[in-house]
Amino acid sequence: MLLNYLKPVLYFIPLAALQLVVVPLMTIYEISPNLILVLIVYFTMLYGQIYGTILGFVLGFLFDIISGGLLGASMLSFTVSVFIAGYFYNENKVDTNTATFLFTIIVFLCGSINSFLFSSIAISNPDVKLISLILEIGFLPGLYTSVFSLPIVIFTTKKGIE
Amino acid sequence: MINSLRRFIYQFKEYFLVAILIIISLSLLSSNDKPGIKKLRTFALGNFAVLSEMVNSVTNIFTSEPSYSELKSENAKLMLELNRLRKKGLENNNLRSMLALEDTSKYKLIAADVISKLVNRIQGNFILNKGIKDNIKIGMPVIAPQGLVGIISEVTDNYSVAKMLFNSSLNIAVTLQRINVDGILSWNGRELIIKNIPTTYEIEIGDGVETSDFSSLFPPNIPIGIVSKKEEIALGLLHTLSVQPFADIRSLGNLFIVQIVPSIQINQLEMNLIK
Repeated sequence: MLLNYLKPVLYFIPLAALQLVVVPLMTIYEISPNLILVLIVYFTMLYGQIYGTILGFVLGFLFDIISGGLLGASMLSFTVSVFIAGYFYNENKVDTNTATFLFTIIVFLCGSINSFLFSSIAISNPDVKLISLILEIGFLPGLYTSVFSLPIVIFTTKKGIE
Repeated sequence: MINSLRRFIYQFKEYFLVAILIIISLSLLSSNDKPGIKKLRTFALGNFAVLSEMVNSVTNIFTSEPSYSELKSENAKLMLELNRLRKKGLENNNLRSMLALEDTSKYKLIAADVISKLVNRIQGNFILNKGIKDNIKIGMPVIAPQGLVGIISEVTDNYSVAKMLFNSSLNIAVTLQRINVDGILSWNGRELIIKNIPTTYEIEIGDGVETSDFSSLFPPNIPIGIVSKKEEIALGLLHTLSVQPFADIRSLGNLFIVQIVPSIQINQLEMNLIK
């Protein structure tokens, strides 16, 4: 069981470096994909809701302390968004959930919720409008993140990363 | 009773779990400034920044531009000098008799490379490759050759975190150069704005914006950008100004840290007054 948690943490380290160094080069008007979320959602689809929720919490914590952002913001947003993603988990449909476009849709939903929550928590300016928060800050990063789930859909074999 | 409670908890275990994790996250959110948390962040940031720097050096092979750090440093110094002179020119026109104004001090610049960025619409941060060992302190302004970029918010031995202008938690006292009107510049998630400027002031699109003499965070006269749009609010009594920064903050790779912490100087002055 511990190995199940260790594996995504090991994937997290290079992915976090990519998220902080390479992803900023790919931003479009401050809209950036969240590679960490794709990883967490993938493992949630493999191992279930409770596993994913704990993983989201742990990786959110790690990402917060290494990114210099507000500690607790990613933790909370990852935990809640992955908890929601966990409802799509079905142990009999792991292949369908990870190797079809359903995975992209789950990542999109999760990414939008994550980005919306993160921004709502981190925001300290009352001038940000709710519509902007939902559409520009929530929906568009979710859409961009879902694009990065496509390689997993395309290349995932029946056994996945395992 | 205990059995039924246990059964109830087991039945809704995922909800209990997520509730507990949310409570922990919220409690951490409210304790960001505690020394223990800061120490942990400094430790993690310092160690992970090494890896980020390695990835960054690989990335630079593909995205590198020739390093003209000395020229850029000179350019940044000249930019500050030019802005000071421009300001003096405007003052000279307005107040002809006041030719011998006190010169603002010259600041030492430390060149730094951006090794990673946290980019989103609300919180923009840079991680820079200069830290305590290079005499970097929290509160030091960060500039690019074109103008102000942000402020140092955290420092480790070898690295530092800078809050960029595109960060909703950063509010800066600014002055509109031509008419000498002060305001507060903030990031609203989409653009930099200055709110509540009375419409009685004749503000024009293209007016320069720089840090104010009243700023406790930044030294005065650092250029920030120009007014790109003005909107009337509150029955036409007030303006909200949009500001286009001079520096292309999204694509910056090399920056300069100005070795001054204005807030410390002000605090020291205030302490002297109290004494």
